[in-house]
Amino acid sequence: MIEARALALGYRGRTVLRDVSLTLRPGELVAIVGPNGAGKSSLLRALAGQLAPLEGSVVIDGVVAQAFSPAALARRVAFVPAEEHADGEVTAREAVELGRLAHRPWWRWSGEADDERIVEEALARVALTGDAERRIATLSSGERQRVWIATALAQRAATMLLDEPTSHLDLAGAYATLDLLHALARDGSAIAVVLHDLNLAVVSADRIVLVGAGTVLADGPVDVVFTSELLTRAYGAEIAVRRTTDGAMVAVPRRRVGGIAR
Amino acid sequence: MALTRTRALAVGILALALFAALAASVAIGSVTLPLRAVFAALAHPHGGGDATAIVWALRLPRVLIAALVGGALAASGTLLQGMLRNGLADPSLTGGSAGAAFAIAVAIALGAPAPLYAAIAFAAALATTVAVATLARRGTGISRERLILAGIAVSSLFAGLTTLIIQLVPSASVTLSILAWLGGSLVGHGWRDLSWAALYALAGIVVACTAVPALNAIRLGDARARALGVDLERTRWIVLAASSLLTAAAVSVSGVIGFVGLIVPHVVRALCGSDARWALPASIPAGAVVVVLTDTIARSAAPPLELPIGVLLSLLGVPAFLYIAFRRERLA
Repeated sequence: MIEARALALGYRGRTVLRDVSLTLRPGELVAIVGPNGAGKSSLLRALAGQLAPLEGSVVIDGVVAQAFSPAALARRVAFVPAEEHADGEVTAREAVELGRLAHRPWWRWSGEADDERIVEEALARVALTGDAERRIATLSSGERQRVWIATALAQRAATMLLDEPTSHLDLAGAYATLDLLHALARDGSAIAVVLHDLNLAVVSADRIVLVGAGTVLADGPVDVVFTSELLTRAYGAEIAVRRTTDGAMVAVPRRRVGGIAR
Repeated sequence: MALTRTRALAVGILALALFAALAASVAIGSVTLPLRAVFAALAHPHGGGDATAIVWALRLPRVLIAALVGGALAASGTLLQGMLRNGLADPSLTGGSAGAAFAIAVAIALGAPAPLYAAIAFAAALATTVAVATLARRGTGISRERLILAGIAVSSLFAGLTTLIIQLVPSASVTLSILAWLGGSLVGHGWRDLSWAALYALAGIVVACTAVPALNAIRLGDARARALGVDLERTRWIVLAASSLLTAAAVSVSGVIGFVGLIVPHVVRALCGSDARWALPASIPAGAVVVVLTDTIARSAAPPLELPIGVLLSLLGVPAFLYIAFRRERLA
């Protein structure tokens, strides 16, 4: 379990977010949404213990995040950063094997039988067993995203935090990734994911954290957070919430490009 | 698993190549010895005769020094390129080589005894590297771009200061010995120099081994490595310390020899990939083969004249460097 208590986050004296308190619980898929630059990624990094808060604290399993060594942290929280350039020569299996790094001492350069089993399970869970020997340069964006999720799975951490895992994916790829995360949450993991697309958050999350105007504007189930008033305040643009004929909620900007109101 | 076999094969072939290069290099010289005589002399160090004297007193220490210099520089380059994720990084980039060279130039000018060179080179390489790393600090971490910029700036500074020392030295013979040493030379070193340098090189390798798992994770990117539990800050200091030890070992017995630390890691990665568990061990025999063979050419191409090995390696290294740079551009 991860708890953020009265966080203020920022860089070099500039505060991006303040008064943030929230809890990530096992079995829950939480979506963090908000406009560009609102501090979604900073919030996620702070929850992962990768960014020290200016004020307040992040408490992981009852201990302040900054008290953990990097390896101890990696055994508790699997953090998947936004897409970053990686050495394309690395194979999918080698990447997933690195997920076991925090579970062995530095003098052991390779995993043991137990590590191998966990790596195989992680690859199977994301349906990459057949592609394990492929270099990541030859994988599609969706496949590469699954490699990173499998690497996080190999960490065997109770919590998984993902920064925009669907950003380079088409709709089918995004759904496949979110289906996988949803299933992991059902198996008991605590999962938080930063999403750019509001409507993807609606269809996937148990809870939505709406970040905007320098703080967390709302934190709750979809129908509490998804109101025209809150979204408009967060994004600084008129956003309507509509229901489709089958009752699903969608967020729709009130005007079309070019200025025609709808 | 097939990948592991290929890599093991590559390391095996490199080790065999090193053995062949060492044997050939001991045999070839102003007096060429038949290989049988070389092995006979090696088997009986106190057997007497010209061959034994040539092998044990002259060729063997020199050939082993060449191997040590090559192995140390290549390992140092492999470490730095892995940590900085930049294929253009080598010991001369982080300022270590230039700092050590300057310190030894001062030591020669002041008449310091040769056995002190390794210690002086290490102190200077480490001090320079730490200074460069300090300049490159950004917030709580070392910025990769700033490290390279600071390394280039500090290297230029020391190159200038070294030139100044050469001009200030009143004696022409001291000037010549500094210049000969700066050109990169394996002349005039014996078992004692070898054992000192070997000590530093061994320490460098041991320190480097502690960073191997972290270097592998860094291949996925710094943020991912940190998320996987790597202490990036500590890894950077370990790599800088190991590379200073290795650079000092090489510079103390050979002067400034460029390009080995830059080129060999590329060849090694082409042979057995970027996994540090293979690339680091493979870089040692690979670098050793390059310097042993180049030294053999340097001292046997135009006897009795001996070409400076540093100059010869630059002649071979520049085309290789340009090839790598343009190939990268094409791939990008």
